[in-house]
Amino acid sequence: MTIFYFVAFLSIFFALMTIFTKNPVHSVLYLVITFFTFTVHYILLNAQFLAVVNFIVYMGAIMVLFLFVLMLLNLNKDTEPMKSHLVKFMGVIAGMCLLVTFLGAFRVLETNNEFVQGHADIGLVKNLGKVLFKDFLLPFELSSILLLTAMVGAVLLAKKETRTNQNG
Amino acid sequence: MGAIITLSLLGILVLYLGLYKAKNALLPVSILGLLLALGFEAYYWNVEADPLYSGMVIFDHFSLSFSMLCIALTILILLLSKEYFRAISNNIAEYYTLILFSLTGAILVCSYHNFAMLFIGLEIMSVALYILAGIRRNDKASNEASLKYFLMGAFSTGFLLFGITLLYGSTGSFDLAAIKQHIVDNPTGISPMFYGGILLLLVGLCFKVGAAPFHFWTPDVYDGSPILITTFMSTVVKIASFAGFLKLFSMVLVPLNEFWTPVLLTVVIITLFLGNVTALMQTSFKRMLAYSSISHAGYMLFAILSIGANSASGILAYSAAYGLASIVAFGGLILVKRQVGSDHFESFNGLGKRNPWLAFSITIAMLSLAGIPLTAGFIGKFMMFSNVMNDYHTVLLILAAINAAVGVYYYLRVVVHMYFMKSEAEQTVSMPVNFQVVFVVAVILTIVLGVYPDLILRFI
Repeated sequence: MTIFYFVAFLSIFFALMTIFTKNPVHSVLYLVITFFTFTVHYILLNAQFLAVVNFIVYMGAIMVLFLFVLMLLNLNKDTEPMKSHLVKFMGVIAGMCLLVTFLGAFRVLETNNEFVQGHADIGLVKNLGKVLFKDFLLPFELSSILLLTAMVGAVLLAKKETRTNQNG
Repeated sequence: MGAIITLSLLGILVLYLGLYKAKNALLPVSILGLLLALGFEAYYWNVEADPLYSGMVIFDHFSLSFSMLCIALTILILLLSKEYFRAISNNIAEYYTLILFSLTGAILVCSYHNFAMLFIGLEIMSVALYILAGIRRNDKASNEASLKYFLMGAFSTGFLLFGITLLYGSTGSFDLAAIKQHIVDNPTGISPMFYGGILLLLVGLCFKVGAAPFHFWTPDVYDGSPILITTFMSTVVKIASFAGFLKLFSMVLVPLNEFWTPVLLTVVIITLFLGNVTALMQTSFKRMLAYSSISHAGYMLFAILSIGANSASGILAYSAAYGLASIVAFGGLILVKRQVGSDHFESFNGLGKRNPWLAFSITIAMLSLAGIPLTAGFIGKFMMFSNVMNDYHTVLLILAAINAAVGVYYYLRVVVHMYFMKSEAEQTVSMPVNFQVVFVVAVILTIVLGVYPDLILRFI
């Protein structure tokens, strides 16, 4: 339990650092560390598959992509849009309301709830595979359409267009 | 299930047709495939409806009728697309594919029985649209629409997923029937997390249907996208999202209506006023339709607000009327814009003389959107109002009536421009055959449904 609290503290700390640093590259690096602490959480929960996927895909691939995009966009302080104080103020109020609502909801939860404790071995690759290919076979297959759509779209948006547009 | 498989394969087939440069075959093949899918849906009508594939999807009369409506509207929209995409770019096959995939997602949203399917359906539907909104790549407004839609959509999906997670955390299941059973079994002991989940789901779904205060993306996205894609977004996608919305609330969350009714009531009232009052101030026809689609979302939420036996058929009638009228309105806008080059109200000046038949179709569409008797729109509004009346939401009813009156004003403004204003340009607006077919079908259906509403009301 003490490891959990330590890692949870680190998660929240680095998540806050992500949004409070001025430099976008530092922000992404803090996000990487945040994801790393999530990986530790998954291991603590005995969800090995999720931990590995999170480590490789999110921390590895997606974060590197983030850094590349940042490099290409060449963000700096001048391009940062100015937000008015009113918007910031409203954002803080709305965010705090959400936070209070959920803290209120989570506070009354019993921790020995069977759904919270769950099935200890559910996160192992073997069990996950069984669930994925038995109960959730249809969504699994249909997500191929989602990926195909995204692929077609990426090619479509990136391809060179010769014709100019007309009205219509 | 037949329809979903047909549409997925059809999308891939159309991609291959594009690869082999069979450009003239794209539209006929797509239409034939859609008709086949429609046939499959009709075939399942009399089959006993059970959740299939470990409770993932269910094809009951509710989902079948909404799916059929979506497919039929897509056929009408694709008929309008004949020369449309060719003017925008060379990659026509991909656009058809994306529309077909988006429709597949819409049908999944209509027929889900498990949150996993709802999520995947919504994502397939939206991801295809993010791209379609931005297909006019040299146009800044189109780019803006695409990016805005993508960011807002991703954000709202986050809310939706968090909501689903909280529901799972408190009930231990993604299955609608299991969650319902959980609510029925523990009427008092529902975890507070579940309520948080409901709120987040509500936020996510309101984003998707474009109800205020989560409507900020709607006007810019509808305005910036190519008109035909806007038509698809504001009809098929909206109808499917409403079907999913209604299914969740009418099937699962009804016993907790004391909790979510006040929240939804606030959303409805804000939506009605914001949509109507801002629509009143627009000078662009397209933007006016975008805002009016927000207010229509408000009317459709009535059915969810007071869920009863008539909710499903009411929403079906309303969305059929709204879909048909929107297709005519946007189709008319395409023709007028092609001729005049602007989508302001002034470009409709004198249309009654320049093309009486087009002006007549648009008039019928406007009357239907405004909810004048003898059109389908009236039946839809009537069903919604009577739903609310049964629940004694008197204040809401009065507010809605005021809004309907405001709506009549800005819809009839177009009619006034068409018939009573003189235009400088005197040339006639030509109307291709495919537009004529679609307009005839849509106008006849609008009037027939308005005169004989039983045709659609007995579906569910």
